[in-house]
Amino acid sequence: MSAADSLVIGGELGRRRPRRPRSEQALIRGALAGSEADLEALFRRFWPRAYRAAFLIVHDHAAAEDIAQEAFLSAIRRLDRFDRRRRFGPWLSAIVVNRAIDWARARTARRESAGEPADAPSPPEVPVGRYSQEVLTALGSLSPEHRAVIVLRYLLEYSPGEIAKALELPRGTVNSRLRRGLDALESRLNEVELR
Amino acid sequence: MTRDVKRALREFRAPDEGGAQRRAWSVVRDAYVEREPARGRTRTRAQLALVPALAVIAGGLVLSPAGATVGRLITKAFGVRHAAPMLSSLPSAGRVLVSGPGGTWTAAADGSLRHLGDWTQASWSPRGLYMAVASSDRLAAIDPRGNVRWAIARPEVSDPRWFSPSGYRVAYLSAGTLRVIAGDGTDDHLLAARAAHVAPAWRPGYSFQLAYVTAGNRLVVRDADTEQLIWTQVLDAKARELIWSSDGSRLVVVSARSVRTYAGSGGRPTLLHLPSAPVGDAALSPDGKRIALVIGGDRVVIVRAGSASTPVRQLLAVAGLRELSWSPNGRWLLASLPAADQWVFVRALGPPRVAAVGRIAQQFSSGGSAKSFPQLEGWCCTVQGPAG
Repeated sequence: MSAADSLVIGGELGRRRPRRPRSEQALIRGALAGSEADLEALFRRFWPRAYRAAFLIVHDHAAAEDIAQEAFLSAIRRLDRFDRRRRFGPWLSAIVVNRAIDWARARTARRESAGEPADAPSPPEVPVGRYSQEVLTALGSLSPEHRAVIVLRYLLEYSPGEIAKALELPRGTVNSRLRRGLDALESRLNEVELR
Repeated sequence: MTRDVKRALREFRAPDEGGAQRRAWSVVRDAYVEREPARGRTRTRAQLALVPALAVIAGGLVLSPAGATVGRLITKAFGVRHAAPMLSSLPSAGRVLVSGPGGTWTAAADGSLRHLGDWTQASWSPRGLYMAVASSDRLAAIDPRGNVRWAIARPEVSDPRWFSPSGYRVAYLSAGTLRVIAGDGTDDHLLAARAAHVAPAWRPGYSFQLAYVTAGNRLVVRDADTEQLIWTQVLDAKARELIWSSDGSRLVVVSARSVRTYAGSGGRPTLLHLPSAPVGDAALSPDGKRIALVIGGDRVVIVRAGSASTPVRQLLAVAGLRELSWSPNGRWLLASLPAADQWVFVRALGPPRVAAVGRIAQQFSSGGSAKSFPQLEGWCCTVQGPAG
């Protein structure tokens, strides 16, 4: 193709307005119709927060990767039956967070029964980003259940009512866990500010 | 301050996000491509036609001359009549490796037994020159005399497996993780943090592709050196055993009620149609063409690998069967019969023949007193190691 041809073809079409991101429902419809591109767009939109949420709860990047991956696989398997009136993100997040809590509990149980101080050595797990290490340390002082509530509220931006529903907890329990988790995080982040 | 917490969490980045995303997308895409829509899942006409055809074939072969002849030699209740009291020879070349409460032993073709140490599990190196052995907290490589060449301390070690044909890598399970170590005992590293308790299986001839099952029951084939994912599949049933064909072209996945074979490059598996009973141990013949299976704990059947419509040939019928092992030349099968304290050798090619040996537990106990029955770890090899 010559330069002239490309100019003619380009013309007005070359100055397309940036396309608006497609809605979640449109991507799900596309994925159901067999569009791998739509599935990939859906995956790219929701993967980072799913993986971060899992990591913040389990503090083990290999396990977090597995948990987020399994949640996506579970979503793919159930895609045909997905109620499209629901939002995909909260549905996926609920799967991730509940699996992460189960994994963290199981690890605690394994350590207690085996009397081991830690799991077998894993590759380095160094989070990057501002305050990342401090956030991780502060969350480390909380139980997995408390971490999950904080992650759902402040990373995934659920309302307390939605958290109660996702974790099948009374609303009051969610609020008390939020309060305790926030206190721990705030005091840790304050320490950083004072340095 | 809540705003600061929110901001800190928003700015949080987990380790290796890009790598994790790439790996996960590869897995998710494969699952998407392989998925079957929930609605409209119907049997094809060909599948429907297969079911009665198989029933006829299996029924016919259960009463085949081979099955009938062998059946006469066997008491249904407890093992084979007229079993030899001692193992005086193997019916084929090679050495049988066993492990159990009495430790690890080899039985040579001339019937001589050698105690190699108090290991709980063992597996042959590809040419039988060494063995990878495990105890609860140690992995080691030993020679056929039992001398330790190297050892490494790790928690809850089990299921060591050598890469074939070079033996340059050993994969093993340790406390719920999958690890890989070089064949000389160096460069031990983690490959999967959450592995199911299923022995990993190296793909023969493909350096260094390893099949394993995750704790989430996903079958994964991964390059153990680069950690690159080769392919993966979500398993419908809990896998119990993975077996590669000797040329790496087929992977057999055995579950409690089904056997599936995958092409070496993945894709949709072929489900073998078997008699309706729990599937016990499975063993792939050295040429990779036949799978021997314990069905219902009381039959050994042979099916052709890689074909759903394979005829089922019954080779042995006796209660209490546990494990199977092929002779290196693929002509004999060794079946263990713990309840009768016997080993049963059955000829799988040519005219049917059965030979049984009793008092197995006693023969493989280091103190001479009867102990628990040992497990079969493999019958190897036509190439002889140094002074076995």
